[in-house]
Amino acid sequence: MSRTEIIEKLREILIAADDRSRDKVAACTEESRLVADLGFSSVSMLYMVIAIEEEMGIRFDNVGASDFETLGDVVSFIEAKLK
Amino acid sequence: MEQKRPNRAKLFSLKYLVYDFVKLSAALPGMIWLRPRWRFESEAAKKPIRGGALVISNHDGFFDPVNVMFAVWYRRHHFVCGKEFFESKAKWWFERFLCIPIDRQNFNFGSLREITDELKSGSLVSIFPEGHINDGSGDLSVFKSGPVLIALQGKAPIVPVYVKPRAHFYNRMTFVIGEPIDLYARYGKRPPMSEIDAVAEELRRKEEELKQIAYRNRRKTDADTK
Repeated sequence: MSRTEIIEKLREILIAADDRSRDKVAACTEESRLVADLGFSSVSMLYMVIAIEEEMGIRFDNVGASDFETLGDVVSFIEAKLK
Repeated sequence: MEQKRPNRAKLFSLKYLVYDFVKLSAALPGMIWLRPRWRFESEAAKKPIRGGALVISNHDGFFDPVNVMFAVWYRRHHFVCGKEFFESKAKWWFERFLCIPIDRQNFNFGSLREITDELKSGSLVSIFPEGHINDGSGDLSVFKSGPVLIALQGKAPIVPVYVKPRAHFYNRMTFVIGEPIDLYARYGKRPPMSEIDAVAEELRRKEEELKQIAYRNRRKTDADTK
């Protein structure tokens, strides 16, 4: 799965998770900051992780919410796990 | 139809030795000191909690975990507590008391799995959804959405409990037990975040209702059973 495909999948997951942030998510890039730009709270971060785990079959062990500052960090983590 | 839940917690295990010993030793002095009184929201709330469940309660003081243990005295509680308690000299006690540490500043996703695994295996997990001891005004703070997500992931019902703070040490302690709320049965799968935030607010309103029951004149209610 390429980084572009991962980010597309992430967009789908995030829009399904919270329709209120549809516009922000649709326009997001790898540089978008999860908290400052996308308005994530700790719970929405948790929600995103659960959704990714279920839909992509990977596990977020030994990582914390602050390990992911931008969407690109999440993409890199998923990419490494999928290898 | 009521869902059958697993309960793999053993009646006796070395893991529970300290917990059970302290609980049994403290039972009688605790009963004399607190002289607890239970009230129930409804007939359904009187049913003993079986299998995995997430107990939520208001948080007015440092001894609330003990109070919640008295409120649901017949089960072992796994308390979700701040990681900082595990960094103190009391770490050994927190471990023996089945506490699950979470890092409030940098939530580790492994902690979520630890909590939901306990729920799925039939344990009782207790949490304070306000996330901290409230300001002492007696008003409930905003409830965090995390417990809602935890209950959904653990496929366990939420049991709301209200602990009425004692104005004086000689007052009796009142516990109000609410009806279990089975979010997994309600939604089936994970609802969107907006719905989860709405449920957190619903839980706060439920706690307010239990608070009303706690402060209602005892003679005017038929909800008392003990």
